[in-house]
Amino acid sequence: EKDKSTTSKGSTAEEASKRKEGTAETPKQKLLDIIGNMKVEVSYRKKLQELKASENKKQDTNRQEGPDSAGPQRTAEGIQRGKPLNPELVKAASAVASSLPLNKKQTESELLAQLRRHEETTDKQKKGETINISNVISEMTVKKQSPAQRAARISGRISLELDDDGQRIRPERFSSQSFDSRRSLKVGKRLNIFTKASTEPEHALKTVSSPTIWDLEFAKEIAAITAQPPRNGFEEMIQWTKEGILWEFPIDNEVGMDDGAEFHEHIFLDKHLEGFPKDGPIRHFMELVICGLSKNPYLSVKQKIEHIEWFEKYFEEKKKLLQEI
Amino acid sequence: MAAAALGWALRAARQVLPSPCPGQVRSYYVDWRMLRDVKRRRLAYEYADERLRINAIRKNTILPKELQEVADKEIAALPRDSCPSRIRNRCVLTSRPRGVRRRWRLSRIVFRHFADHAQVSGVQRAMW
Repeated sequence: EKDKSTTSKGSTAEEASKRKEGTAETPKQKLLDIIGNMKVEVSYRKKLQELKASENKKQDTNRQEGPDSAGPQRTAEGIQRGKPLNPELVKAASAVASSLPLNKKQTESELLAQLRRHEETTDKQKKGETINISNVISEMTVKKQSPAQRAARISGRISLELDDDGQRIRPERFSSQSFDSRRSLKVGKRLNIFTKASTEPEHALKTVSSPTIWDLEFAKEIAAITAQPPRNGFEEMIQWTKEGILWEFPIDNEVGMDDGAEFHEHIFLDKHLEGFPKDGPIRHFMELVICGLSKNPYLSVKQKIEHIEWFEKYFEEKKKLLQEI
Repeated sequence: MAAAALGWALRAARQVLPSPCPGQVRSYYVDWRMLRDVKRRRLAYEYADERLRINAIRKNTILPKELQEVADKEIAALPRDSCPSRIRNRCVLTSRPRGVRRRWRLSRIVFRHFADHAQVSGVQRAMW
């Protein structure tokens, strides 16, 4: 294969090689000049070109048969396409192609084809006519409004009566509230902000073996090295939340409490005070006790109830003494 | 109650089966003082709640004084060893009552011995 290709393009290769050997510096210089003259806007294209050039190199080493026949076809296609390429880019492409040691014509044609593709995509993006948006639009359907709701909406727009608060009086709507925001409230993926996150990702991760201590230490090291100081207030707050300085919102009253009992059972202990007299110093004392217990995160609910019951028993035993007073 | 306490003390003084761990294997308490300290700790743990509650009655200004006096007498009636202030933080290995570092529960001499042999984690000779 290689012999055939070399013999068929012996003349051009020889010429190219002669040119290369004789004036090895001028094409490179030409390339450098062209690239240096280009503006910043086009630098991205240069990078792409270089990338494509390296890709082409690899492609060329792989296949040697196809390009021979595809070369002239591609040039014909290139001529047929209406969009003219930037002459500077064309010059750059030719310079790049000449600097490469392989078939000059074929690389040049490929580079130009790719340039054309880039132009098309950038133009599309500028116009905003990419395929993605059209897909999205086609999927969307038109919502049908009932005439009653339409009338209500129109009447709402017309009447601009203001309340004492300054809010607009709207006629009572029951089902139209869902249409107020133009999308119904129940459609769409749930964000799980106000409910505890589902445990699905945990199941997915359980298949992997649990990380060893060394893995965790390594991960911590990497995190410590790559940690940048916070750029704004949000990042600072994120860091504080990770450290535990800031609570997570929406506030979960049972963070760190694995007792099994709800938080309200810890705090609202008034119902256990039924055995005590409603007036007097004992009630006062017991209310203070309950206040202290509600702030205690270390005792369980059972222990707190036992505490209160002990006091009940104690005061029962001392009833005689108390009545003497 | 007395029999149980005696049985417990005997059990404490008895020999424990040698466990397959390297280093020192201690079968007895180092001395009787350490044993007494262990008893005090156990009793203090048992009576901790009651002492707390009786003290809560004693140390407030709301309840009538007569009630507080009765509470005084009650707390004095509890066993003397149930008081937490009687606990002495002795060295765990030598039962030395003084010079004990709380973090390691060791007396200064034992601590120095182990630190020099590099058997205390994270401890190094200071040099600055």
